[in-house]
Amino acid sequence: MGTPCEGCSLDNHGVFHPCAEEIQKWMQKAFEMAKDALDNGEVPVGCLMVYNNEILGRGRNEVNETKNATRHAEMVAIDQVLEWCHCNDKDPGDVFERTVLYVTVEPCIMCAGALRLLRIPLVVYGCKNDRFGGCGSVLDIPADNLPQTGAPFKCISGYRAEEAVEMLKMFYKQENPNAPKSKARKKD
Amino acid sequence: MEPQRKRRKTEESDTFLWEVLPVLSEELSQGIEFLQAYAAPIINKKDTSHLVKKLAAMYPLEGLQHIKRVRACRDKHSPHPLEIIVCLASDLNSKEEGGTIPSITALLHNSESDCTGLGEPFLVQIPAFPPLTRPQFEEASRHWPTSFHEDKQVTVALKGELFSKDEKATMQKYMEQAIEAAKAGKEEGMASVGALIVDPDIDAVLAVAHDCRNSPNPLLHAVMVCIDLIAHGQGGGAYNYKKYPACHFVPTDASHYLANDNSLPSVNLSSLEQATESGLPYICTGYDLYVTREPCVMCAMALVHSRIRRVFFGVISSDGALGTKYKIHTKKDLNHRFEVFKGVMEQDCQKLSQL
Repeated sequence: MGTPCEGCSLDNHGVFHPCAEEIQKWMQKAFEMAKDALDNGEVPVGCLMVYNNEILGRGRNEVNETKNATRHAEMVAIDQVLEWCHCNDKDPGDVFERTVLYVTVEPCIMCAGALRLLRIPLVVYGCKNDRFGGCGSVLDIPADNLPQTGAPFKCISGYRAEEAVEMLKMFYKQENPNAPKSKARKKD
Repeated sequence: MEPQRKRRKTEESDTFLWEVLPVLSEELSQGIEFLQAYAAPIINKKDTSHLVKKLAAMYPLEGLQHIKRVRACRDKHSPHPLEIIVCLASDLNSKEEGGTIPSITALLHNSESDCTGLGEPFLVQIPAFPPLTRPQFEEASRHWPTSFHEDKQVTVALKGELFSKDEKATMQKYMEQAIEAAKAGKEEGMASVGALIVDPDIDAVLAVAHDCRNSPNPLLHAVMVCIDLIAHGQGGGAYNYKKYPACHFVPTDASHYLANDNSLPSVNLSSLEQATESGLPYICTGYDLYVTREPCVMCAMALVHSRIRRVFFGVISSDGALGTKYKIHTKKDLNHRFEVFKGVMEQDCQKLSQL
Protein backbone atom coordinates (compact mmCIF):
# COMPACT_ATOMS: atom_id res chain seq x y z
CA MET A 1 0.00 0.00 0.00
CA GLY A 2 1.72 3.25 0.96
CA THR A 3 5.22 1.88 1.36
CA PRO A 4 4.90 -1.78 0.48
CA CYS A 5 7.73 -4.01 1.52
CA GLU A 6 9.30 -6.35 -1.01
CA GLY A 7 7.36 -9.43 -0.01
CA CYS A 8 3.95 -7.80 -0.20
CA SER A 9 2.07 -7.77 -3.47
CA LEU A 10 -1.11 -6.80 -5.24
CA ASP A 11 -2.99 -9.63 -6.93
CA ASN A 12 -4.80 -9.50 -10.29
CA HIS A 13 -7.84 -7.97 -8.65
CA GLY A 14 -5.81 -5.24 -6.98
CA VAL A 15 -6.18 -6.90 -3.58
CA PHE A 16 -3.23 -6.29 -1.29
CA HIS A 17 -1.42 -9.39 -0.01
CA PRO A 18 0.82 -8.80 2.96
CA CYS A 19 4.00 -10.86 3.29
CA ALA A 20 4.66 -13.16 6.24
CA GLU A 21 6.70 -10.52 8.07
CA GLU A 22 3.96 -7.97 7.68
CA ILE A 23 1.36 -10.43 9.01
CA GLN A 24 3.59 -11.32 11.95
CA LYS A 25 4.11 -7.68 12.85
CA TRP A 26 0.40 -6.75 12.92
CA MET A 27 -0.94 -9.98 14.33
CA GLN A 28 1.40 -9.63 17.28
CA LYS A 29 -0.37 -6.38 18.17
CA ALA A 30 -3.81 -7.95 17.60
CA PHE A 31 -2.88 -10.68 20.10
CA GLU A 32 -1.89 -8.00 22.62
CA MET A 33 -5.41 -6.56 22.26
CA ALA A 34 -6.95 -10.00 22.78
CA LYS A 35 -4.88 -10.41 25.95
CA ASP A 36 -6.21 -7.07 27.18
CA ALA A 37 -9.77 -8.30 26.61
CA LEU A 38 -9.08 -11.48 28.59
CA ASP A 39 -7.60 -9.44 31.46
CA ASN A 40 -10.79 -7.38 31.52
CA GLY A 41 -13.27 -10.25 31.55
CA GLU A 42 -14.21 -9.90 27.90
CA VAL A 43 -14.14 -12.55 25.14
CA PRO A 44 -10.44 -12.54 24.08
CA VAL A 45 -10.60 -11.24 20.54
CA GLY A 46 -8.30 -8.44 19.41
CA CYS A 47 -7.90 -6.70 16.09
CA LEU A 48 -6.15 -4.01 14.13
CA MET A 49 -7.12 -1.99 11.07
CA VAL A 50 -4.10 -1.08 8.95
CA TYR A 51 -4.11 1.50 6.15
CA ASN A 52 -0.98 2.75 4.37
CA ASN A 53 1.20 0.90 6.85
CA GLU A 54 -0.47 2.79 9.67
CA ILE A 55 -2.76 1.52 12.44
CA LEU A 56 -6.00 3.49 12.18
CA GLY A 57 -8.04 1.39 14.57
CA ARG A 58 -7.49 -1.09 17.39
CA GLY A 59 -10.26 -3.06 18.94
CA ARG A 60 -11.00 -5.67 21.52
CA ASN A 61 -14.31 -7.10 22.63
CA GLU A 62 -16.25 -4.59 24.82
CA VAL A 63 -19.57 -6.41 25.20
CA ASN A 64 -19.76 -6.54 28.97
CA GLU A 65 -18.41 -3.04 29.43
CA THR A 66 -21.06 -1.47 27.15
CA LYS A 67 -23.91 -3.95 27.84
CA ASN A 68 -24.17 -4.11 24.07
CA ALA A 69 -23.67 -7.61 22.60
CA THR A 70 -22.62 -6.14 19.24
CA ARG A 71 -19.47 -4.47 20.57
CA HIS A 72 -17.05 -6.98 19.09
CA ALA A 73 -13.40 -6.07 18.51
CA GLU A 74 -14.03 -5.39 14.81
CA MET A 75 -16.90 -2.98 15.50
CA VAL A 76 -14.79 -1.09 18.06
CA ALA A 77 -11.88 -0.78 15.60
CA ILE A 78 -14.22 0.34 12.80
CA ASP A 79 -15.43 3.21 14.98
CA GLN A 80 -11.83 4.33 15.52
CA VAL A 81 -11.17 4.32 11.78
CA LEU A 82 -14.32 6.39 11.24
CA GLU A 83 -13.12 8.83 13.88
CA TRP A 84 -9.71 9.03 12.20
CA CYS A 85 -11.39 9.75 8.84
CA HIS A 86 -13.46 12.47 10.46
CA CYS A 87 -10.42 14.12 12.09
CA ASN A 88 -8.28 13.86 8.96
CA ASP A 89 -11.00 14.89 6.54
CA LYS A 90 -10.83 11.62 4.60
CA ASP A 91 -13.70 9.82 2.90
CA PRO A 92 -14.35 6.61 4.90
CA GLY A 93 -15.30 4.79 1.71
CA ASP A 94 -11.86 5.39 0.17
CA VAL A 95 -10.04 4.47 3.38
CA PHE A 96 -11.90 1.22 4.13
CA GLU A 97 -11.42 0.03 0.55
CA ARG A 98 -7.66 -0.02 1.22
CA THR A 99 -7.66 -1.21 4.80
CA VAL A 100 -6.61 -4.67 5.96
CA LEU A 101 -8.15 -6.16 9.11
CA TYR A 102 -5.91 -8.32 11.32
CA VAL A 103 -7.96 -10.22 13.92
CA THR A 104 -7.15 -13.12 16.24
CA VAL A 105 -10.44 -15.01 15.62
CA GLU A 106 -12.55 -15.48 12.47
CA PRO A 107 -15.10 -12.64 12.32
CA CYS A 108 -18.64 -13.66 13.33
CA ILE A 109 -21.59 -13.44 10.92
CA MET A 110 -22.46 -9.94 12.12
CA CYS A 111 -18.93 -8.58 11.77
CA ALA A 112 -18.48 -10.26 8.38
CA GLY A 113 -21.65 -8.44 7.29
CA ALA A 114 -20.24 -5.15 8.61
CA LEU A 115 -16.91 -5.71 6.81
CA ARG A 116 -18.79 -6.33 3.55
CA LEU A 117 -20.87 -3.17 4.01
CA LEU A 118 -17.65 -1.17 4.42
CA ARG A 119 -16.00 -2.89 1.43
CA ILE A 120 -12.91 -3.93 3.35
CA PRO A 121 -10.92 -6.01 0.80
CA LEU A 122 -8.88 -8.35 3.02
CA VAL A 123 -9.11 -10.02 6.42
CA VAL A 124 -6.20 -11.88 8.06
CA TYR A 125 -7.28 -13.99 11.02
CA GLY A 126 -6.01 -16.57 13.50
CA CYS A 127 -8.36 -19.38 14.48
CA LYS A 128 -11.76 -20.50 13.19
CA ASN A 129 -14.91 -19.54 15.08
CA ASP A 130 -17.04 -22.69 15.17
CA ARG A 131 -19.87 -21.08 17.14
CA PHE A 132 -20.54 -17.89 15.15
CA GLY A 133 -17.98 -17.76 12.32
CA GLY A 134 -19.18 -15.84 9.29
CA CYS A 135 -16.19 -16.54 7.02
CA GLY A 136 -16.81 -20.22 6.34
CA SER A 137 -17.47 -21.88 9.72
CA VAL A 138 -21.24 -21.32 10.08
CA LEU A 139 -21.90 -19.15 7.01
CA ASP A 140 -19.66 -17.79 4.27
CA ILE A 141 -20.63 -14.12 4.19
CA PRO A 142 -17.54 -12.80 2.30
CA ALA A 143 -18.18 -15.15 -0.64
CA ASP A 144 -21.99 -15.31 -0.78
CA ASN A 145 -24.06 -13.51 -3.40
CA LEU A 146 -25.31 -10.42 -1.55
CA PRO A 147 -25.45 -7.60 -4.12
CA GLN A 148 -27.06 -5.14 -1.69
CA THR A 149 -24.54 -5.82 1.09
CA GLY A 150 -21.32 -4.07 0.10
CA ALA A 151 -18.56 -6.11 -1.54
CA PRO A 152 -17.09 -9.60 -1.11
CA PHE A 153 -13.70 -9.83 0.62
CA LYS A 154 -10.72 -12.19 0.79
CA CYS A 155 -9.47 -14.04 3.87
CA ILE A 156 -6.08 -15.37 4.96
CA SER A 157 -6.51 -17.69 7.93
CA GLY A 158 -4.58 -19.82 10.38
CA TYR A 159 -1.98 -17.45 11.79
CA ARG A 160 -1.14 -18.48 15.42
CA ALA A 161 -4.49 -20.29 15.43
CA GLU A 162 -3.71 -22.60 18.37
CA GLU A 163 -2.76 -19.69 20.54
CA ALA A 164 -6.00 -17.87 19.70
CA VAL A 165 -8.05 -21.01 20.52
CA GLU A 166 -6.17 -21.43 23.80
CA MET A 167 -7.17 -17.91 24.85
CA LEU A 168 -10.83 -18.58 24.02
CA LYS A 169 -10.72 -21.80 26.04
CA MET A 170 -9.29 -19.92 28.99
CA PHE A 171 -12.17 -17.46 28.80
CA TYR A 172 -14.94 -20.04 28.48
CA LYS A 173 -13.57 -21.96 31.44
CA GLN A 174 -14.38 -18.95 33.57
CA GLU A 175 -17.98 -18.01 34.14
CA ASN A 176 -19.57 -14.95 32.62
CA PRO A 177 -20.23 -12.82 35.72
CA ASN A 178 -22.52 -10.55 33.68
CA ALA A 179 -24.95 -13.19 32.51
CA PRO A 180 -28.16 -13.42 34.53
CA LYS A 181 -28.27 -16.18 37.08
CA SER A 182 -29.99 -19.24 35.74
CA LYS A 183 -33.13 -20.46 37.48
CA ALA A 184 -31.47 -23.71 38.44
CA ARG A 185 -28.80 -21.86 40.39
CA LYS A 186 -31.31 -19.65 42.16
CA LYS A 187 -32.59 -22.58 44.19
CA ASP A 188 -29.44 -23.09 46.24
CA MET B 1 -73.37 -1.50 28.37
CA GLU B 2 -69.94 -2.95 28.74
CA PRO B 3 -70.33 -5.80 26.22
CA GLN B 4 -71.68 -3.38 23.64
CA ARG B 5 -68.58 -1.19 23.84
CA LYS B 6 -66.40 -4.21 23.57
CA ARG B 7 -68.18 -5.40 20.49
CA ARG B 8 -67.74 -2.08 18.79
CA LYS B 9 -64.05 -2.17 19.57
CA THR B 10 -63.53 -5.56 17.95
CA GLU B 11 -65.50 -4.48 14.90
CA GLU B 12 -63.16 -1.56 14.49
CA SER B 13 -59.99 -3.61 14.79
CA ASP B 14 -61.42 -6.19 12.44
CA THR B 15 -60.31 -4.19 9.42
CA PHE B 16 -56.61 -4.99 9.22
CA LEU B 17 -55.29 -4.56 5.73
CA TRP B 18 -52.33 -6.80 6.46
CA GLU B 19 -51.64 -10.38 7.42
CA VAL B 20 -48.89 -11.55 9.74
CA LEU B 21 -47.13 -14.78 8.76
CA PRO B 22 -44.36 -16.73 10.44
CA VAL B 23 -40.97 -17.04 8.74
CA LEU B 24 -40.31 -20.74 9.33
CA SER B 25 -37.13 -22.78 9.07
CA GLU B 26 -36.17 -24.45 5.82
CA GLU B 27 -37.35 -27.86 7.13
CA LEU B 28 -40.78 -26.50 7.98
CA SER B 29 -41.35 -24.56 4.79
CA GLN B 30 -39.95 -26.86 2.16
CA GLY B 31 -41.92 -29.28 -0.04
CA ILE B 32 -41.83 -33.03 0.48
CA GLU B 33 -39.15 -35.25 -1.04
CA PHE B 34 -40.14 -38.69 -2.27
CA LEU B 35 -38.52 -42.09 -2.66
CA GLN B 36 -39.61 -44.79 -5.10
CA ALA B 37 -40.89 -47.99 -3.53
CA TYR B 38 -42.60 -51.21 -4.54
CA ALA B 39 -45.98 -51.96 -3.05
CA ALA B 40 -48.12 -55.06 -3.56
CA PRO B 41 -51.79 -55.94 -2.97
CA ILE B 42 -52.57 -58.11 0.03
CA ILE B 43 -54.84 -60.76 -1.46
CA ASN B 44 -56.29 -62.06 1.76
CA LYS B 45 -56.90 -59.53 4.56
CA LYS B 46 -56.28 -62.19 7.22
CA ASP B 47 -52.63 -62.49 6.18
CA THR B 48 -51.89 -58.82 6.91
CA SER B 49 -50.16 -59.02 10.29
CA HIS B 50 -48.17 -62.04 9.21
CA LEU B 51 -47.04 -60.23 6.01
CA VAL B 52 -46.15 -57.06 7.93
CA LYS B 53 -43.86 -59.08 10.23
CA LYS B 54 -42.24 -60.99 7.42
CA LEU B 55 -41.58 -57.92 5.27
CA ALA B 56 -40.32 -55.90 8.25
CA ALA B 57 -37.72 -58.61 8.84
CA MET B 58 -36.75 -58.80 5.20
CA TYR B 59 -36.86 -55.03 4.43
CA PRO B 60 -36.84 -53.02 7.67
CA LEU B 61 -37.13 -49.61 5.85
CA GLU B 62 -34.63 -47.96 8.18
CA GLY B 63 -35.09 -44.26 8.78
CA LEU B 64 -38.64 -44.40 7.41
CA GLN B 65 -40.52 -44.97 10.67
CA HIS B 66 -43.06 -42.34 9.59
CA ILE B 67 -44.27 -44.56 6.73
CA LYS B 68 -47.34 -46.65 7.48
CA ARG B 69 -46.54 -49.98 5.91
CA VAL B 70 -50.14 -50.85 4.98
CA ARG B 71 -52.77 -48.68 3.34
CA ALA B 72 -56.35 -49.21 2.26
CA CYS B 73 -56.63 -49.81 -1.45
CA ARG B 74 -57.70 -46.64 -3.20
CA ASP B 75 -59.74 -48.41 -5.85
CA LYS B 76 -63.03 -49.16 -4.12
CA HIS B 77 -63.91 -51.85 -6.70
CA SER B 78 -60.64 -53.70 -6.24
CA PRO B 79 -60.96 -57.32 -5.11
CA HIS B 80 -58.28 -56.79 -2.42
CA PRO B 81 -58.84 -54.21 0.32
CA LEU B 82 -55.24 -53.52 1.44
CA GLU B 83 -51.82 -52.77 -0.04
CA ILE B 84 -48.39 -53.06 1.59
CA ILE B 85 -44.94 -51.57 0.98
CA VAL B 86 -42.57 -54.37 0.02
CA CYS B 87 -39.28 -52.47 -0.27
CA LEU B 88 -37.59 -49.36 -1.62
CA ALA B 89 -36.63 -49.41 -5.27
CA SER B 90 -33.09 -48.68 -4.06
CA ASP B 91 -33.12 -51.84 -1.90
CA LEU B 92 -32.75 -53.96 -5.03
CA ASN B 93 -29.55 -54.45 -6.94
CA SER B 94 -30.34 -52.31 -9.93
CA LYS B 95 -30.13 -55.12 -12.46
CA GLU B 96 -33.60 -54.49 -13.77
CA GLU B 97 -33.36 -51.52 -16.05
CA GLY B 98 -35.72 -49.86 -18.48
CA GLY B 99 -38.50 -49.35 -15.95
CA THR B 100 -39.75 -52.93 -15.86
CA ILE B 101 -41.22 -53.83 -12.52
CA PRO B 102 -39.76 -56.98 -11.02
CA SER B 103 -42.09 -59.82 -10.13
CA ILE B 104 -43.05 -60.45 -6.51
CA THR B 105 -40.89 -63.57 -6.47
CA ALA B 106 -37.88 -61.51 -7.53
CA LEU B 107 -38.58 -58.96 -4.76
CA LEU B 108 -38.79 -61.71 -2.17
CA HIS B 109 -35.54 -63.39 -3.21
CA ASN B 110 -37.32 -66.11 -5.21
CA SER B 111 -38.61 -67.86 -2.12
CA GLU B 112 -41.94 -69.18 -3.38
CA SER B 113 -43.40 -69.86 0.06
CA ASP B 114 -43.08 -66.22 1.13
CA CYS B 115 -44.87 -64.93 -1.93
CA THR B 116 -48.22 -66.44 -1.19
CA GLY B 117 -50.66 -63.79 -0.11
CA LEU B 118 -49.17 -60.96 -2.16
CA GLY B 119 -50.28 -59.82 -5.63
CA GLU B 120 -48.03 -58.40 -8.33
CA PRO B 121 -46.01 -55.35 -7.24
CA PHE B 122 -46.39 -51.79 -8.53
CA LEU B 123 -44.38 -48.59 -8.06
CA VAL B 124 -45.39 -45.89 -5.55
CA GLN B 125 -43.82 -42.66 -4.29
CA ILE B 126 -43.35 -42.52 -0.54
CA PRO B 127 -42.34 -39.43 1.50
CA ALA B 128 -38.63 -39.51 2.35
CA PHE B 129 -38.99 -37.53 5.63
CA PRO B 130 -41.67 -37.22 8.30
CA PRO B 131 -44.02 -34.30 7.57
CA LEU B 132 -43.62 -31.42 10.07
CA THR B 133 -46.46 -29.13 9.02
CA ARG B 134 -50.05 -29.77 7.96
CA PRO B 135 -49.43 -28.72 4.33
CA GLN B 136 -46.49 -31.13 4.20
CA PHE B 137 -48.65 -33.86 5.78
CA GLU B 138 -51.42 -33.30 3.25
CA GLU B 139 -48.98 -33.46 0.35
CA ALA B 140 -47.29 -36.58 1.76
CA SER B 141 -50.62 -38.36 2.36
CA ARG B 142 -51.69 -37.93 -1.23
CA HIS B 143 -48.92 -40.41 -2.07
CA TRP B 144 -48.76 -42.79 0.88
CA PRO B 145 -50.04 -42.63 4.48
CA THR B 146 -47.59 -41.34 7.07
CA SER B 147 -47.71 -40.67 10.76
CA PHE B 148 -47.81 -36.98 11.74
CA HIS B 149 -47.06 -35.40 15.10
CA GLU B 150 -48.73 -32.09 14.55
CA ASP B 151 -47.34 -28.92 16.13
CA LYS B 152 -50.65 -27.13 16.63
CA GLN B 153 -48.99 -23.76 16.98
CA VAL B 154 -47.26 -24.07 13.62
CA THR B 155 -50.55 -25.10 11.97
CA VAL B 156 -52.35 -22.11 13.43
CA ALA B 157 -49.47 -19.81 12.48
CA LEU B 158 -49.45 -21.03 8.87
CA LYS B 159 -53.13 -20.24 8.58
CA GLY B 160 -52.30 -16.69 9.69
CA GLU B 161 -54.48 -17.28 12.74
CA LEU B 162 -51.82 -17.30 15.43
CA PHE B 163 -52.67 -13.84 16.73
CA SER B 164 -55.96 -12.50 18.03
CA LYS B 165 -57.41 -9.21 16.88
CA ASP B 166 -56.22 -7.56 20.07
CA GLU B 167 -52.71 -8.84 19.49
CA LYS B 168 -52.79 -7.57 15.94
CA ALA B 169 -53.96 -4.19 17.23
CA THR B 170 -50.92 -4.14 19.54
CA MET B 171 -48.64 -5.01 16.63
CA GLN B 172 -50.18 -2.22 14.58
CA LYS B 173 -49.71 0.25 17.45
CA TYR B 174 -46.00 -0.57 17.66
CA MET B 175 -45.35 -0.73 13.93
CA GLU B 176 -47.00 2.68 13.53
CA GLN B 177 -44.39 4.06 15.93
CA ALA B 178 -41.58 2.40 13.95
CA ILE B 179 -42.99 3.98 10.78
CA GLU B 180 -43.09 7.38 12.50
CA ALA B 181 -39.44 6.96 13.49
CA ALA B 182 -38.55 6.03 9.90
CA LYS B 183 -40.22 9.22 8.67
CA ALA B 184 -38.41 11.32 11.28
CA GLY B 185 -35.12 9.75 10.13
CA LYS B 186 -35.95 10.54 6.52
CA GLU B 187 -36.30 14.19 7.47
CA GLU B 188 -32.76 14.04 8.87
CA GLY B 189 -31.55 12.72 5.52
CA MET B 190 -31.43 9.06 6.59
CA ALA B 191 -32.67 5.89 4.92
CA SER B 192 -36.34 5.57 5.87
CA VAL B 193 -36.14 2.57 8.17
CA GLY B 194 -37.54 2.60 11.70
CA ALA B 195 -37.26 0.17 14.60
CA LEU B 196 -38.71 -0.26 18.06
CA ILE B 197 -37.92 -2.57 20.96
CA VAL B 198 -40.67 -3.44 23.41
CA ASP B 199 -40.98 -5.52 26.53
CA PRO B 200 -44.09 -7.56 25.71
CA ASP B 201 -44.54 -8.69 29.32
CA ILE B 202 -45.31 -5.15 30.44
CA ASP B 203 -46.45 -3.80 27.05
CA ALA B 204 -43.87 -1.00 27.19
CA VAL B 205 -41.68 0.64 24.56
CA LEU B 206 -38.02 0.56 25.65
CA ALA B 207 -36.27 2.04 22.62
CA VAL B 208 -37.22 3.81 19.38
CA ALA B 209 -34.74 4.31 16.54
CA HIS B 210 -34.39 5.33 12.95
CA ASP B 211 -31.66 4.43 10.53
CA CYS B 212 -28.51 6.56 10.93
CA ARG B 213 -26.40 4.98 8.18
CA ASN B 214 -26.12 8.27 6.30
CA SER B 215 -24.42 9.79 9.34
CA PRO B 216 -20.62 9.53 9.71
CA ASN B 217 -21.18 5.86 10.67
CA PRO B 218 -22.53 3.75 7.77
CA LEU B 219 -23.15 0.76 10.09
CA LEU B 220 -25.76 2.50 12.22
CA HIS B 221 -28.72 0.66 10.73
CA ALA B 222 -31.97 1.13 12.65
CA VAL B 223 -31.65 -2.27 14.37
CA MET B 224 -28.07 -1.55 15.52
CA VAL B 225 -29.20 1.81 16.91
CA CYS B 226 -32.08 0.14 18.75
CA ILE B 227 -29.79 -2.46 20.32
CA ASP B 228 -27.42 0.26 21.50
CA LEU B 229 -30.30 2.32 22.89
CA ILE B 230 -31.35 -0.68 24.99
CA ALA B 231 -27.74 -0.81 26.25
CA HIS B 232 -28.03 2.88 27.20
CA GLY B 233 -31.22 2.07 29.08
CA GLN B 234 -29.26 -0.52 31.06
CA GLY B 235 -26.45 1.92 31.90
CA GLY B 236 -24.13 1.08 28.98
CA GLY B 237 -24.16 2.01 25.31
CA ALA B 238 -21.54 2.98 22.76
CA TYR B 239 -22.91 5.89 20.73
CA ASN B 240 -24.41 9.30 21.31
CA TYR B 241 -27.73 10.14 19.63
CA LYS B 242 -28.18 13.73 20.85
CA LYS B 243 -28.32 14.90 17.24
CA TYR B 244 -31.24 12.60 16.56
CA PRO B 245 -34.06 13.28 19.03
CA ALA B 246 -36.32 10.70 17.36
CA CYS B 247 -33.89 8.01 18.63
CA HIS B 248 -34.55 7.55 22.32
CA PHE B 249 -34.66 5.00 25.10
CA VAL B 250 -36.39 4.40 28.42
CA PRO B 251 -34.15 3.44 31.33
CA THR B 252 -35.06 -0.08 32.35
CA ASP B 253 -35.48 0.33 36.06
CA ALA B 254 -38.76 0.18 37.90
CA SER B 255 -38.71 3.65 39.46
CA HIS B 256 -38.40 5.33 36.10
CA TYR B 257 -41.24 3.30 34.63
CA LEU B 258 -43.50 4.56 37.37
CA ALA B 259 -42.39 8.19 37.25
CA ASN B 260 -43.00 8.54 33.53
CA ASP B 261 -46.65 7.71 33.37
CA ASN B 262 -47.37 9.57 30.16
CA SER B 263 -44.69 7.88 28.09
CA LEU B 264 -45.72 4.46 29.33
CA PRO B 265 -49.45 4.58 29.95
CA SER B 266 -50.03 0.85 30.10
CA VAL B 267 -47.38 -0.33 32.55
CA ASN B 268 -48.80 -3.16 34.57
CA LEU B 269 -47.39 -3.04 38.07
CA SER B 270 -47.49 -6.71 38.94
CA SER B 271 -45.85 -7.87 35.74
CA LEU B 272 -43.23 -5.16 36.13
CA GLU B 273 -42.40 -6.57 39.54
CA GLN B 274 -42.13 -9.99 38.00
CA ALA B 275 -39.74 -8.66 35.37
CA THR B 276 -37.45 -7.00 37.88
CA GLU B 277 -37.68 -9.82 40.40
CA SER B 278 -35.68 -12.14 38.13
CA GLY B 279 -32.75 -9.75 38.32
CA LEU B 280 -31.43 -6.98 36.14
CA PRO B 281 -32.38 -6.96 32.48
CA TYR B 282 -29.79 -8.68 30.31
CA ILE B 283 -29.35 -7.12 26.85
CA CYS B 284 -32.50 -7.81 24.77
CA THR B 285 -33.54 -11.07 26.48
CA GLY B 286 -37.32 -11.42 26.36
CA TYR B 287 -37.85 -8.34 24.20
CA ASP B 288 -39.62 -7.95 20.84
CA LEU B 289 -38.30 -5.92 17.90
CA TYR B 290 -40.53 -4.17 15.38
CA VAL B 291 -38.73 -3.01 12.25
CA THR B 292 -40.21 -1.63 9.05
CA ARG B 293 -38.16 -3.87 6.75
CA GLU B 294 -36.33 -7.18 6.97
CA PRO B 295 -32.88 -6.81 8.59
CA CYS B 296 -29.62 -7.39 6.72
CA VAL B 297 -27.17 -10.12 7.76
CA MET B 298 -25.25 -7.83 10.13
CA CYS B 299 -28.40 -6.74 11.95
CA ALA B 300 -29.91 -10.24 12.00
CA MET B 301 -26.81 -11.68 13.67
CA ALA B 302 -26.70 -8.69 16.05
CA LEU B 303 -30.19 -9.80 17.15
CA VAL B 304 -28.91 -13.35 17.79
CA HIS B 305 -26.09 -11.93 19.94
CA SER B 306 -28.64 -9.74 21.76
CA ARG B 307 -30.98 -12.69 22.54
CA ILE B 308 -34.10 -11.01 21.10
CA ARG B 309 -37.35 -12.95 21.70
CA ARG B 310 -39.38 -12.14 18.57
CA VAL B 311 -39.02 -9.96 15.47
CA PHE B 312 -41.90 -8.43 13.53
CA PHE B 313 -41.13 -6.76 10.23
CA GLY B 314 -43.14 -5.10 7.49
CA VAL B 315 -41.58 -5.82 4.10
CA ILE B 316 -38.88 -8.19 2.94
CA SER B 317 -35.45 -6.96 1.70
CA SER B 318 -33.60 -8.40 -1.29
CA ASP B 319 -30.53 -9.31 0.85
CA GLY B 320 -32.63 -9.91 3.99
CA ALA B 321 -31.29 -12.41 6.53
CA LEU B 322 -34.55 -13.33 8.31
CA GLY B 323 -36.18 -15.28 5.49
CA THR B 324 -34.96 -13.99 2.14
CA LYS B 325 -31.23 -14.80 1.76
CA TYR B 326 -30.75 -16.52 5.12
CA LYS B 327 -32.89 -17.65 8.02
CA ILE B 328 -30.42 -16.68 10.72
CA HIS B 329 -33.15 -16.99 13.38
CA THR B 330 -33.63 -20.72 12.73
CA LYS B 331 -30.01 -21.84 12.37
CA LYS B 332 -29.46 -24.84 14.64
CA ASP B 333 -25.69 -24.35 14.95
CA LEU B 334 -26.10 -20.87 16.48
CA ASN B 335 -26.63 -20.54 20.23
CA HIS B 336 -29.91 -18.60 20.13
CA ARG B 337 -33.03 -18.89 18.01
CA PHE B 338 -36.06 -16.63 17.86
CA GLU B 339 -39.42 -16.27 16.14
CA VAL B 340 -39.87 -14.02 13.13
CA PHE B 341 -43.12 -12.74 11.64
CA LYS B 342 -43.48 -10.74 8.45
CA GLY B 343 -46.16 -8.62 6.86
CA VAL B 344 -47.10 -6.32 9.76
CA MET B 345 -48.51 -3.19 8.06
CA GLU B 346 -46.79 -4.35 4.90
CA GLN B 347 -48.19 -1.71 2.56
CA ASP B 348 -47.39 1.19 4.88
CA CYS B 349 -43.85 -0.12 5.32
CA GLN B 350 -43.54 -0.56 1.56
CA LYS B 351 -44.48 3.09 1.06
CA LEU B 352 -41.49 4.17 3.19
CA SER B 353 -39.07 3.13 0.46
CA GLN B 354 -40.83 5.48 -1.96
CA LEU B 355 -40.42 8.53 0.27
